[in-house]
Amino acid sequence: MNPQPFLRPFTAPAVLCTVGLLAAMAAVLQFSFRAYVAGSLEPGAFTLANFADLLKPLYARVFLDTVWICFLTAISTLIVGYPLAYALVRTQNAILKSTLLVIVVTPLFLGEVVRTYSWIIVLGNNGFINSMLMNLGIVKQPVQFMFTTFGVVVALVHVTMPVMVIMLAAGLSHIDLDYQKAAESLGAGPVRTFLTITLPLSMPGVVAGVTTAFAWTFSAFASPQLIGGGKVNMISNLVYQLGFASFNFPFAASLCVAGLALTIVVLSMLRLAARPFDNIRAH
Amino acid sequence: MKRWLLALFVLVTAVPAHAQDKLVVSIWGGSWRDLVAETVAKKFTAETGVPVEFITGGTIDRLNKAKLAKDNPESDLTFTTSHVGWIYATDGLFEELDTTKIPNAKNLADEARISPFHLGAWAYVYTIGYRADLLGGMKFESWEDLWKPELKGKIAAPDFDPSHIIAISAILSGGDAAHWEKGQDKLKALKPNFKAFYTNDANSQQLLASGETPVQVVLSMNAYYMISQGVPITLAIPKEGAVLGVDTVAIMKGSKKSELAYKFINALYDPEVQAEIAKIKKGSPAVLNARIDPEIAKLPGVFTTAAQWKQQINIDAKLRAEKTAEWRKWFAENIMN
Repeated sequence: MNPQPFLRPFTAPAVLCTVGLLAAMAAVLQFSFRAYVAGSLEPGAFTLANFADLLKPLYARVFLDTVWICFLTAISTLIVGYPLAYALVRTQNAILKSTLLVIVVTPLFLGEVVRTYSWIIVLGNNGFINSMLMNLGIVKQPVQFMFTTFGVVVALVHVTMPVMVIMLAAGLSHIDLDYQKAAESLGAGPVRTFLTITLPLSMPGVVAGVTTAFAWTFSAFASPQLIGGGKVNMISNLVYQLGFASFNFPFAASLCVAGLALTIVVLSMLRLAARPFDNIRAH
Repeated sequence: MKRWLLALFVLVTAVPAHAQDKLVVSIWGGSWRDLVAETVAKKFTAETGVPVEFITGGTIDRLNKAKLAKDNPESDLTFTTSHVGWIYATDGLFEELDTTKIPNAKNLADEARISPFHLGAWAYVYTIGYRADLLGGMKFESWEDLWKPELKGKIAAPDFDPSHIIAISAILSGGDAAHWEKGQDKLKALKPNFKAFYTNDANSQQLLASGETPVQVVLSMNAYYMISQGVPITLAIPKEGAVLGVDTVAIMKGSKKSELAYKFINALYDPEVQAEIAKIKKGSPAVLNARIDPEIAKLPGVFTTAAQWKQQINIDAKLRAEKTAEWRKWFAENIMN
């Protein structure tokens, strides 16, 4: 008798989704090796020219910029998100906990475009920050936040924050408080307790959060497109600019394939770097 | 029981019959859909009793969907830009038009006769729009003025289509769109003046309204919308002319409602409907016999006579369809990045 009689019917949707995704990936891969025919949607003969074009310095620079923006976003999200996650897990006040949860989770319910437009209002030359700085007399001319890497990273941190905080909170909530109490009973102050007990034991959550934020940022489009204004570009923006806006789908596909390969390489490197934290047990 | 079965039969047969009695039109969303719904579709439905259903989406989305549904199209008619229309036509997605069924086609401006498959629905220009209040009284009489050093870091242009500024650079360098390479160095010299590149009309509006980019290569209709919203924009028509843009209409190949589609096109070319479109969007009528409000007719970027159409810089739509990818790639590699 089959011990799991419902396994097949229940896994069927997942199998169908997988087949659909693989078919789409195969189509992208196939397109990446086809020539672009000017003025037509039909791709031409098989070619390696699309990948040869990717060797131009411009594309290498955009790929490096993408990795750099992902890195800055992941680290910035970690720095801002850790205290929030810590407060969320450790606070005993139910109202404060609920408030923090709402603040953290709300961005998930807003579309990326809406969030990005709100950042344009905040970061623009006549935006909230510049108006405040100028009214306080701190600066005489508006500080240029728009169309800069800084502006793009700020908007992306907002996008990745909920996921980072949720993952960190999951990691922190698994830490047995007895370890902390033991350290304090042995004379360790709050900072030492945090640095030697809490932080190391929360590393699985940190690694999961940073990896997810990094991977998520890799495919960012609306924030770099609107805040970057064509001056700060990530791979997805290049795909749009060179592929979709000009109907050159073969070249867009080659950019996608190269971007996917880069994502796999970078995430594998992150995984290797995080291996020392694999044996950490929080309780 | 028999009565119930009869009722069920009537219901089942009536629904598809009703579904067939509509004309499906593919168009951009937002104000473009509303424009056609309030003018052309309204007249068409009043004349035929057939309702119009709209399928909306971006230019590329709709093109891809049309390609996937080749020979069994989702829509009966498609509105798209003239050069994108050539891609539809090249891929066999449009039906060849029988202009004998479109009486007012004889009054179409020459520049609106794009191909045997698609005809102009209305026109506009891409030209220089600027915030005079932020530029200390600067004026734009020539495209050459965009190259002034005092405009460093002040200009925006569309990122989805660099054909306008590429053609302008070529013309200022003694070439034209077909020989655009002549303008490459000229355009590279403009690079310091670009502050940003906008993605869509909303993005263009935001950059101009906030003053982030006080000068733009801008769609005239979009500029007039912003002016109506209180943004103090001045639209300049340079002495070399503005860059003509034509949005077109076509019947999808495989449409089973070709006759209704012709009636829809005839409603579109009704002189009063064309005048209404000009009034709402501040665009130019595609037919020369539209009698538009003189106040609208005198606006920069609105043209009503054959001579005015000819004053605009007209990039051949087929050339543009063939060159878009090359231009876009060069622009991304040399100007944007």
